[in-house]
Amino acid sequence: VLLAAYVGYLGLGAAVLQALERPAEVQAAEHLLREHWELLANHTCLQGPALQRLIEGIIRAYKSGITLQGNTTSLGRWDYSGSFFFSISAITTIGYGNLSPSTAVGRIFCIVFALFGIPLNLVLLNEIGQLMLLGVQHCARRLEEVFHWQNKASFLIKTCALVIGLLLFLLLPPLLFSDKEGWSYEEGFYYSFITLSTIGFGDYVIGMNPDRTYPSWYKNVISLWILFGMAWLALVIKFCIHLLE
Amino acid sequence: KAMFSGKLQTALLVAGYFVYLLVGAAVFQALERTAEKQEKMAAAQMKEVFLRNFTQLTAAEMEQFMKNLIEAIQNGVYPVGNESQFEESNWDFSNSFFFAGTVVSTIGYGTLHPKTAGGQIFCVFFALFGIPLNIVFLHRVGKMLSLLCKKLGKFLYEKGMRKKKIKFLTLLFFLATGILVFLCLPSVFFQITEGWSYSEGIYFAFITLSTIGFGDYVVGKQPDRKYFSYYRVLVAIWILFGLAWIALLFNL
Repeated sequence: VLLAAYVGYLGLGAAVLQALERPAEVQAAEHLLREHWELLANHTCLQGPALQRLIEGIIRAYKSGITLQGNTTSLGRWDYSGSFFFSISAITTIGYGNLSPSTAVGRIFCIVFALFGIPLNLVLLNEIGQLMLLGVQHCARRLEEVFHWQNKASFLIKTCALVIGLLLFLLLPPLLFSDKEGWSYEEGFYYSFITLSTIGFGDYVIGMNPDRTYPSWYKNVISLWILFGMAWLALVIKFCIHLLE
Repeated sequence: KAMFSGKLQTALLVAGYFVYLLVGAAVFQALERTAEKQEKMAAAQMKEVFLRNFTQLTAAEMEQFMKNLIEAIQNGVYPVGNESQFEESNWDFSNSFFFAGTVVSTIGYGTLHPKTAGGQIFCVFFALFGIPLNIVFLHRVGKMLSLLCKKLGKFLYEKGMRKKKIKFLTLLFFLATGILVFLCLPSVFFQITEGWSYSEGIYFAFITLSTIGFGDYVVGKQPDRKYFSYYRVLVAIWILFGLAWIALLFNL
């Protein structure tokens, strides 16, 4: 039930944000096209200050998520899939920032959405983490029964779980990323860690390359990976905190 | 004796936390500074070439220029202004320190991020140890804040209020003063120092303290504004206590 509520919440947020942000995005892109691209095409005596202004305009457009590609601008950032991913980045507190609301209403909605979404996310992560722990303990008990190992089993299982988690969430995904995104392994690893720790710089974001095609299952699998990976990393960090305190 | 060791622990924790941030800042600076310089030079050159050849540029060359410009921007280099830009670096010590802070607090604005492979790997390990350290640190700060609330509770108890009412009132007080001190007042402050509107300030405050940290608004990054020297430090202190307050709220 919790999972359903979580996914439903994300979907709702995505729809609302899309409705709020898309028109503004289209408008800004048209503005950029009109003002700067055509200006450049028509004026052949571009001086220093004019170039300055052009560059500043492009920078501003870039910051609001619009890039110039040929004669058109790359749009579709606030389509449903993009908005859904944005909702995820908001309530997991990853906050990539490559996409962020530019309308005032969008921002207010974002705040309210996160205000309820973040606790919801924390509860879900906690649940997943508990399930993982239970699974590990269950395995340990089973091993103890089968092999009569006593204390050794617990330690062994815990290290096993750590290694499996490491492989699954941090060491193997970069391989997928280098295939689908064209990043190096190191970049994929960096991206994985920055995402799962919720730091989320936004310098690398999956599915954002306009020159690449992504299979339809890609974003969904990634979302699952983020969810379980975050729960796992949270457990690891909790363990580190126990050591520190 | 127990109290002394507790205070010593706290002092050590605080010291350790800041040392950790300082060391991180220095390492980031060392790793990223030269790469940044190279990119700045490349971008300036590109701009110069463009200007010189403008009237004879073909559409394809224009395309290329745009592409290069976008790439430069994506790498955080803004080729605006003239040569004096080389002196200021995104990776000077104060910026690197702030960056280290955004890493361990998991805010992660992203306006500044390591671009060298070495910087990125270091960032991962820096965060791996820094995030638990930050959480433990925030716990301590949070305990200080909750002590204030307990004192208020005690005061009310002595005045003869019932326990349930006290709990409710202290919670309310905690919430209200927190919102005032960490959300409303700073937004007014930012209105003056950053020129944002009040709602933009609130948005920034919320996005920062929730550690979402989109990076669309960041303090101290407006190119045409003068900030007084301890501005960043003040903001960092605000972030610290604000985060501790939010962490406490979740524990209540």
